Amino acid sequence: MKFRKTMVAGTTIALAGVLAACGSNSASSNGSSITRMESDVISTMDPSTNTDAISGQALIDTMDGLYRYSGKDLKPAIAKSQPTVSKDGKTYTFKLRNAKWSNGDPVTAQDFVFGWRRTVTPKTKSEYAYLFSGVKNADDITAGKKAASTLGVTAVNKTTLKVTLDHAIPYFKTMLVNPAFFPQNEKFVNKAGKKYGTTSKYILSNGPYVLKDWNGTGNTWKETKNKTYWNAKNVHIDTLNGQVVKDPQTALNLYQSKKLDIAQLSGEQAAKAKTMSDYKGLNQSAIFYLELNEKKVPIFKNTKIRQAVSAAINRTEYIKKVLNDSSIAANNVTPEGLFTKGGQDFSKTASKTDASATKYDPAKAKKLWTEGLKETGQSAPTLELLSDDTTQGKRSAEYLQSTLQQNLPGLKVTIASVPFKTRLSRAQNGQFDMVYSGWSADFPDAISFLDLFTSDNSYNDGKWSNAEYDALIKQSKTTDANNPTARWNTLLKAQEILTKEQGVVPLYQRVQATLQRKTITGLKYNPTSSYDFVNAKVK
Amino acid sequence: MAKYILKRIGFLLLTLFLVATITFFLMKLLPGTPFNNPKIPADQLAILKKQYGLDKPVWMQYLTYMAGITHGDFGMSYQYPGQTVSGLIVSRMGPSLQIGAQAMVVGTLAGIVLGAIAAIRKNTWVDATATIFAILGRSIPNFVFAALLQLFAYKTGAFPVALWGGFTYSILPTIALAIAPLAQTARFMRTEMVDVLSSDYIELARSKGESRWQVVAKHALRNSMIPIVTIIGPMAVDLMVGSLVVENIFAIPGIGEQFVKSITTNDYPVIMALAILYSAMLTVIILIVDILYGFIDPRIRLSGEAN
Repeated sequence: MKFRKTMVAGTTIALAGVLAACGSNSASSNGSSITRMESDVISTMDPSTNTDAISGQALIDTMDGLYRYSGKDLKPAIAKSQPTVSKDGKTYTFKLRNAKWSNGDPVTAQDFVFGWRRTVTPKTKSEYAYLFSGVKNADDITAGKKAASTLGVTAVNKTTLKVTLDHAIPYFKTMLVNPAFFPQNEKFVNKAGKKYGTTSKYILSNGPYVLKDWNGTGNTWKETKNKTYWNAKNVHIDTLNGQVVKDPQTALNLYQSKKLDIAQLSGEQAAKAKTMSDYKGLNQSAIFYLELNEKKVPIFKNTKIRQAVSAAINRTEYIKKVLNDSSIAANNVTPEGLFTKGGQDFSKTASKTDASATKYDPAKAKKLWTEGLKETGQSAPTLELLSDDTTQGKRSAEYLQSTLQQNLPGLKVTIASVPFKTRLSRAQNGQFDMVYSGWSADFPDAISFLDLFTSDNSYNDGKWSNAEYDALIKQSKTTDANNPTARWNTLLKAQEILTKEQGVVPLYQRVQATLQRKTITGLKYNPTSSYDFVNAKVK
Repeated sequence: MAKYILKRIGFLLLTLFLVATITFFLMKLLPGTPFNNPKIPADQLAILKKQYGLDKPVWMQYLTYMAGITHGDFGMSYQYPGQTVSGLIVSRMGPSLQIGAQAMVVGTLAGIVLGAIAAIRKNTWVDATATIFAILGRSIPNFVFAALLQLFAYKTGAFPVALWGGFTYSILPTIALAIAPLAQTARFMRTEMVDVLSSDYIELARSKGESRWQVVAKHALRNSMIPIVTIIGPMAVDLMVGSLVVENIFAIPGIGEQFVKSITTNDYPVIMALAILYSAMLTVIILIVDILYGFIDPRIRLSGEAN
């Protein structure tokens, strides 16, 4: 009898839950709106502690820094115009425009000073504090050796911001679009305290949108047009809904049932989407490559051996068979669309002279391999290929294993698939023969990739070393720092050496398969792999 | 009875303490740090670790952590800067609990009915069909059902394809989750019921002139419940903690994925809190089940009290 009562009580509780859930239907919005899919939740809206792309996108939607990307164009945002830069490239003076926070407060130079200092203060625990390296005293402050007030940024007056650098940073302006460099309203941040950026209540915006209905961990949120935004007249879409969807088939189904207006796809669904008329491939600033450990495997010191490995890989076939999306076969380690000058693309320009090094040519690969082995006096080795233990990581490793064994006579390749973090630590400690790695840019400049392969860089896992290359990279940072044309040419020269020598074997540039309604126009995709919704319209 | 329950609660706390301790030290063996940006320079990483107290010896971190949880402080998440772990779990637990509870109720009730019918109609086509259904339900993973249900929703438009926003959104995920407990309950129910139906007291009841259905409802059903009650405990926990795959397929803002995500990102406080929470749920439910036995079968209650 008592048991029956328990069953009845249990059923009643479950039914009550069911009925309670009935009440919470989402309301429809007025005006123009679109629903955008995100692959994960917003983890924080605090510009100082944000690290992931999803939070980054929400911050870009709701805030404005000194600059803003509109597609490939870097445009002054809170900065009124281009800054005055001292001759040595170490001092930047920005005039700020008349802009407001969403609570009506004016955005002042002091807001930048406060925000920047907050990011570099160790107590804030910002993982991006290192981006400030190069701003005067930043390294000492993050190391706890100096007070945050000594950071090289000052508010000359309410609308004038002066930044002092330790040395000229040619790409400094492009870094200013990173949320870590956004202004923060001191009064508001202090009042919110620990809760700053944790729910929509504890956010203050100065950008195109304000975030609503975000509980800090939820799968949905809403961004509504910010009427106090200085450029509000060019914000045409009233509401951007955010919806987390993780399963690609679900994403496709939701897109086709018109529940999503922008959806990212991967795997099989990306291949299916490619044939649809709403398809868009978005170039990511991410390159994947093969690093050859010259310290552990001496034959990799031989240039011909490295060139042979590169020529043995059919990148186009690899993308088609393994990735099955519209990723780009990489000719060099700088992604396309990342770094441009006067309409010229760095990667494409470099490819014009060095494409042959990454061209699939089995006969050439075999010849170089045999010659290389003869030069080093070694016989064909057995090598371990280190990769991630994800499906894609494993399949990539299997493809490379078969193609390398087939085209390089006598070579045996074994595969070690390990979790991401193990792969990183093994690569950094030199515990590998060959490793399948990738890199994405913190800021859109070729140097964020080329820097990796200098002799003393801690991410140069293969330990390839070339004195001429090192000198060119150094020259780009010193002699050429304040001369964009000279710097461009120097970096091109460095890129050519790296590609010709195959100091690293580039594989592909990631392209995000996306479906986007044709009714959305004017939406731009930035080299920092985020959207700019200013100027975008929906019919 | 009270003494027995108190003793069991003592063991329960001891179990949780051991789970917390073992998890803590195992977790510290995970490679990497909670700072997942591989570009953080080494000296910067050292500073971050110091800020979070991760530079201290593991035993000291352990003591600090254990001291915290005794007054309910489960720490702050690394993945969600500024969010407390308890807040994170509470905010994402709701949908998982709801779907889990619904699946539990639907699955076990339907399973009991299916199993009972199969037993009563033993060796007929009804029994065969129920058995095939149970085998399929047990052997096909729930994400296959989830994907099929979604396809059905997409083709017919009868249900939402995915997302979360009210009862109708919870129907398909509930069905997807309910299949496995349904199949399992049905199988156990059938086996036990067949045994019970051939026992002497059932024969007696029949000979007293009660109809077959009366006998089943009055005598057989309750006595066939024992194995079901045994499996209900772990099954309930399994359902309530959320399913990574089903939640992902239906884009439900649940807790299912958090455990996996917290491990891959080294989010120590979240790993700990979820491990403790899941163990607590499991041990509490086992305790409840043990007490329930007594109500269903007086023989067990007597022996329990005798101890």
